[in-house]
Amino acid sequence: MADINKLADCKEGDEATLIGVDDEQLSVQLFCMGCVPGETLLIERIAPFGDPIIISVEDSFISLRKEDAMQMTVKKK
Amino acid sequence: MEAETLSETQQPFKIEDKVRIVLVGNPNSGKSSLFNSLTGLNQRVGNFPGVTVEKRSGNFKVNSQIKAEIIDLPGTYSLSPRSEDEQVTFDYLNDNNRTDIPEIIVVIADASNLKRNLLLASQLIDLEKPTILALNMMDIVQRNKQEINVEGIQKAFGIPVVPMNARIGKGVDQLKETIANYKHQKIKKFVEDHQSKDALDNTLVRYRKIKEIVQANLKSSGESVTAQMTRKFDKVLTHPFWGYVIFLGILFLMFQAIFSWSTWPMDWIENGFLVFGNWLGDTLPQGVLNDLLVEGVLAGLGGIIIFIPQIALLFTFIAILEDTGYLARVSYLMDGLLKRFGLNGRSVIPLLGGAACAVPAIMSARTISNKKERLLTIFVTPLISCSARIPVYTLLIALVIPAEKQFLSFNLQGIVMMALYLLGFLAAIGTSMVMKYLVKSTERSHFIMELPIYRPPRWKNIGITILNKVKVFLFEAGKIIIAVSIVLWVLSSYGPGDKMAQVEQKYEQIKNDPTQELTVNQDQINSEKLEASYAGHIGKFIEPAIKPLGFDWKIGISIITSFAAREVFVGTMATLYSVGDEENTASIKEKMANAVNPNTGEKVYTKATGYSLLIFYAFALQCMATVAIVVKETNGWKWPILQLLYMGALAYFSSLLVYQIFA
Repeated sequence: MADINKLADCKEGDEATLIGVDDEQLSVQLFCMGCVPGETLLIERIAPFGDPIIISVEDSFISLRKEDAMQMTVKKK
Repeated sequence: MEAETLSETQQPFKIEDKVRIVLVGNPNSGKSSLFNSLTGLNQRVGNFPGVTVEKRSGNFKVNSQIKAEIIDLPGTYSLSPRSEDEQVTFDYLNDNNRTDIPEIIVVIADASNLKRNLLLASQLIDLEKPTILALNMMDIVQRNKQEINVEGIQKAFGIPVVPMNARIGKGVDQLKETIANYKHQKIKKFVEDHQSKDALDNTLVRYRKIKEIVQANLKSSGESVTAQMTRKFDKVLTHPFWGYVIFLGILFLMFQAIFSWSTWPMDWIENGFLVFGNWLGDTLPQGVLNDLLVEGVLAGLGGIIIFIPQIALLFTFIAILEDTGYLARVSYLMDGLLKRFGLNGRSVIPLLGGAACAVPAIMSARTISNKKERLLTIFVTPLISCSARIPVYTLLIALVIPAEKQFLSFNLQGIVMMALYLLGFLAAIGTSMVMKYLVKSTERSHFIMELPIYRPPRWKNIGITILNKVKVFLFEAGKIIIAVSIVLWVLSSYGPGDKMAQVEQKYEQIKNDPTQELTVNQDQINSEKLEASYAGHIGKFIEPAIKPLGFDWKIGISIITSFAAREVFVGTMATLYSVGDEENTASIKEKMANAVNPNTGEKVYTKATGYSLLIFYAFALQCMATVAIVVKETNGWKWPILQLLYMGALAYFSSLLVYQIFA
């Protein structure tokens, strides 16, 4: 069963494929850092109180806030 | 490489004896390493016109005939700007009016993270300007057991590609050779304009194409070693509990080191200025110019140069933390907390730097892309207790708290010192929390930040960074301190009417009067002259306003004079309390401790006055240099004036409260 979620709902250690980003400005920023639809994201760390989080794409590590992660649609692996 | 003929619209490209190199790249791609390795110390730090973004430029020799000037543009992920820094890069690259000498863009890419780094390269190619691609960090590629087909990438992009390891200077000679032999050919656009509708679409089209190129030219066997190592470090350093413990531990050690290591050089500087000042005072002919130079300019300069060891040390630690990749993790750890107060994880650097000096700290707030968060950071940074407050704190604490006094078996003096630092930090975040609701902003706040892999520090880069920071500090703060020192010197050397002359006459008479047995002390004359001067009048004038805080007119003068820099307080006190101490045996502390109010016969420095004054110095924006830098960074007078008024009011009412409680 395809498991479509928001990135913000994922847990530490989850792997997910990025499907899309709702906010346009945010998507430009993320795309430029290698966070492109189709890539696999790994949730590396979630800070206390759930914010911010660290994800990795390929071999780069990116930190972002929970509210940004809510804009990102992913498919859990 | 396929050499194509020049199109008619393009200018023929020919380097004669000069060339301009424009360095562009992602953050953390090794841009500074390459810049430093090309220029060495032959570099300058300035500002881009109209904005407060730092501009690094320099010169180097390409070969025996060709000289190059090089501009290091702020790091950017793409040509779609999102911060002031990135806007500068975008504007500079799109400006076609620089036609004085030929220009080559050198785009530096982290080869260990090829796909993302090539995105920027592909956008630069489409500007259709002469471009060279430098593939940096080839050592990491090797460590990760990957292989890159440089030829293949060169073919796919249609521009010269130079593999390198800028950290140790490998490949730099090859880059110079490539620059010298650069032949213009028509650059084939990577993505034609008609292929995409908007920026988003354009980026995706590029990615698809880059992905194919990378798949064809990168051989990879298994997992990345460096990413695995970074994960291992992060297991501890970004741990939800241990991460914070380690950060606090590092912070504690850092400040311990800064305060204990800087004592020696600070003593040397102090003594050096004393000796030089005396020598200059004796060598130059007596007169106004002599006084102005020695008592005004030199004293003011000495007052800021003495803080250079502390500032240099603090920035050394910050530079090491930044270069190893740790500081990005600190920002990650602190973002959750700072966000609640209207700040950003990136505010950590200015807030830390504020403990040395607010001037460079405020400048480092430039990396915060959200305007409101940056403004709030600038607004609250001066509340962090800086090193200029230390001499004031030390003197006053020693005055009102006996050294042997203990609290829960800890030295009470030390506890009060720590409490003042804590108070500054709490005031900073408290202020920010209130400001968060007052400053309106529609801009969305993000904290999207790359966490670079952990690497050993590059000592050469750190050395150059510190040198540049100290230079900027000296120049920015120095200009203002000299100007204010001169004004203050005039105010305290001249007085209204003939009051100053009267003081001199009075003592002249005493001296010449053989019946007078009293020996006249020069300090006594100075003190009375100061009382008769403009500064003295101002002090007396404001006395009613500061009386409720427990301050007399002498403290009033010190508050006014120390507006140039807080530590001037100590010097002014030294002059004011030199009265009647003929042998000059008592220290300032003893003199102040013995000071008695002539009207009431009570001691001036009671516990209440001491605490009140401490709080006043913790909160008041007693620093011209900070005001000046805020004017510059916020492009106007509105914020610095608000800041001055707010911190002044906070200081006044807190001191009032403290005095009323303890009195």
